[in-house]
Amino acid sequence: MNGTKSILLAGIGTAGSTIAREIRDAFDGNLRTIMCDTDAATAQMCEPFVLLGGNRLAGRGAGGDIVAGRMAAEESISAIDSHLDGVRIAVIVTTLGGGTGGGATLETVKHLARKGIPSIVFATVPFTFEGDDRQRHARSVMRMIEDAANASFFIPLNDLAAETDNMKEAFDIARARLETGITFFWRLLEKPGYLRLDAERLRNILSRAGHGRFAAVETSGENRAREALDRLLSSPAVSGGTGTVRAILCGILAGDDLRLSEVGIVAGGLRKAFSEPMRFDLATVNDEESFGGRIAAVAMLFESTPEESSGNKPKSVLSGSGQKNDRFVKSEATIWHGENMDEPTYLRKGISLGF
Amino acid sequence: MSSTVYATLEIGTSRTVLAIGESEAGEEMKLVSFASIPSTGVRKSQIIDINQATQSVRSVIGEIERKSKAEGGSIDIANAFLVINGSHVNATPLQSATAISGRNVTQEDVDRVTENARQIAGATGDLASLDIAEQDYAVDNMAGILNPLGMSGRALKLNVLHLTADKNRIQDAKTAADGAHLELRDPLFACTCAAEAVLDAHEKKNGVLVLDLGGGSTGYAVYDNEVLVDAGSIGVGGDHVTNDIVHAFSLPQSLSEVIKRRHAQATIADDEEAGRIVLSPSSSGGEERSISRRSLSIVVNARMKELIAIIREHLEEKELLARLHCGVVLCGGGAQLRELDTLIQEELGIPAKIGIPKRISGLPKDESPALYATAAGALLAARAAYPEEHSFFDTLKGIFK
Repeated sequence: MNGTKSILLAGIGTAGSTIAREIRDAFDGNLRTIMCDTDAATAQMCEPFVLLGGNRLAGRGAGGDIVAGRMAAEESISAIDSHLDGVRIAVIVTTLGGGTGGGATLETVKHLARKGIPSIVFATVPFTFEGDDRQRHARSVMRMIEDAANASFFIPLNDLAAETDNMKEAFDIARARLETGITFFWRLLEKPGYLRLDAERLRNILSRAGHGRFAAVETSGENRAREALDRLLSSPAVSGGTGTVRAILCGILAGDDLRLSEVGIVAGGLRKAFSEPMRFDLATVNDEESFGGRIAAVAMLFESTPEESSGNKPKSVLSGSGQKNDRFVKSEATIWHGENMDEPTYLRKGISLGF
Repeated sequence: MSSTVYATLEIGTSRTVLAIGESEAGEEMKLVSFASIPSTGVRKSQIIDINQATQSVRSVIGEIERKSKAEGGSIDIANAFLVINGSHVNATPLQSATAISGRNVTQEDVDRVTENARQIAGATGDLASLDIAEQDYAVDNMAGILNPLGMSGRALKLNVLHLTADKNRIQDAKTAADGAHLELRDPLFACTCAAEAVLDAHEKKNGVLVLDLGGGSTGYAVYDNEVLVDAGSIGVGGDHVTNDIVHAFSLPQSLSEVIKRRHAQATIADDEEAGRIVLSPSSSGGEERSISRRSLSIVVNARMKELIAIIREHLEEKELLARLHCGVVLCGGGAQLRELDTLIQEELGIPAKIGIPKRISGLPKDESPALYATAAGALLAARAAYPEEHSFFDTLKGIFK
């Protein structure tokens, strides 16, 4: 595997593309990215850019219509394909609540699954103050994305920036924490510490991860490890959740001054907080330039629902030959003229529902 | 005079159905008991979880027993004919021949050429034989003969349509039933069973297509000149319509199924006044939602038009469409879809109607008779195959009233 270049960062939608561009810029451009949006205006600030649904939407955006977003992605899937050569993991960042973030992300993830490329989705759920419509739109696609992606993190912006009441600050804090979580994968590969995860092992962990929760904190000072642990454990992402935690991926990012005892405090404390038997993977990043004097701790918790724990709900799987569909996942696909009849007809035919 | 009792079991995608019929020689078949429960462990007409399917069989037997007890009797079923559907069902034309060496064709020649056809059909490897439908005879180069007796020539040939199914799928059903202590007898194709119940001789003679629209697949059977000329199954059914609704409106499967049954139609609602369907907060995850009737009709229309296109292509390939002078007869749960007859008329150019079972009494009055077409036809087919062979107690361990 060719290190960081085998991981693709895809930003979907205007906000997702912006976050992806910022992350790439933070890495001095040394990060394989694509930005995809139905709004042609996004192209001006993002490159490489894929305009989704150019014929259908004429670059004017999906107008908050999830179905339009899905069909736009379908129309442009071959353009996305041209960026997938040699990709072993795709990390997708998007914001839910609109048409492109919800709809196009779902279709893109399904396409990646057909190509056998594991996908990890980081999707923000709108702040409560953004209104009921956006919240409802977000909820309507979360389960479908969760089923289609190998690992998915739905991050309520409320949880990421609970400490401020200022709108701009709230968005900035949320975005910074999201970026810390996402860039963790690249930092792991680019600047591994003494406890390292290579790219194939990372792919292996994430391929079977499922729905997850994610928290990232940064601390400094004498008690930075203890404080990081406390803040991780009290974060809504770690303390919340209704399912059984079955795997944790813990990352500690620090400079040259990281002490073994600090790793023990964070990793040991996190492991101890969950009584269930689970898989625990730990990795450190040594990046003096970015984290000198501070530590950042990232916790990714992958959970199973009570249904899955009792074995009642089959986990969605990637089919070797490609197609995956919730209802027909275990049955032989019905193919007619090269089309999979198990996929909804209106989607395959690009029929507008005229909501 | 003693009755002959037949039982049929269908482990379908949506429903598991057990029917018991009773027949006296020369009398009409009577549906004695009928139970239909939601299936589990079945997708696209194929069992994907034997244990769940076994549970469905146990439940449907339990339901028959409960009904019988409620009527003051008791039924204990020993065996049943298996009714199957699914895209693994296929029809293949075969031809057998026998020498007649210039003399007149006798009944022995006809029996011999028929037996030859059975032997050819028997060598099918992984395929189970469902039916061998005789088409016509040929004497030397003269084809299309319906009765060859008395004709003279050098060779008598018989064209048959061999209806087959995947042996493994049948074995899965047998394993599931075995777990519920029910022995399964010969497999019967659901669509030709339904045809047996709903068609009359005039329709079979003048050309008719029967569509059995099930949950996981759609069976078809074409009759012309009084014989079955084509049959098979397409792996698209009512479940696909439901799944399309799930995707289009981000609704749960169960709610989408209800919406399909109550509100779906096969043609596109042609005006903006079609309105919206309001979903109660309890059914749509705690929020009051509504969906556009027109959008729903677009989703359903797209799926049904596509299904009809598959059927049309198939009929045209075999040059059968122009022979369907009696149109299309619809059976199965999908036949209840509103405006499906109109859509078929538009897409195939021939009339369509819902099939009503004939030659059977005792059908429940509370639901559409069309829903009983397959079960009724399967009982008739079982009787046709074994007119008097099964005594009352072969099929039932006991029936006491």
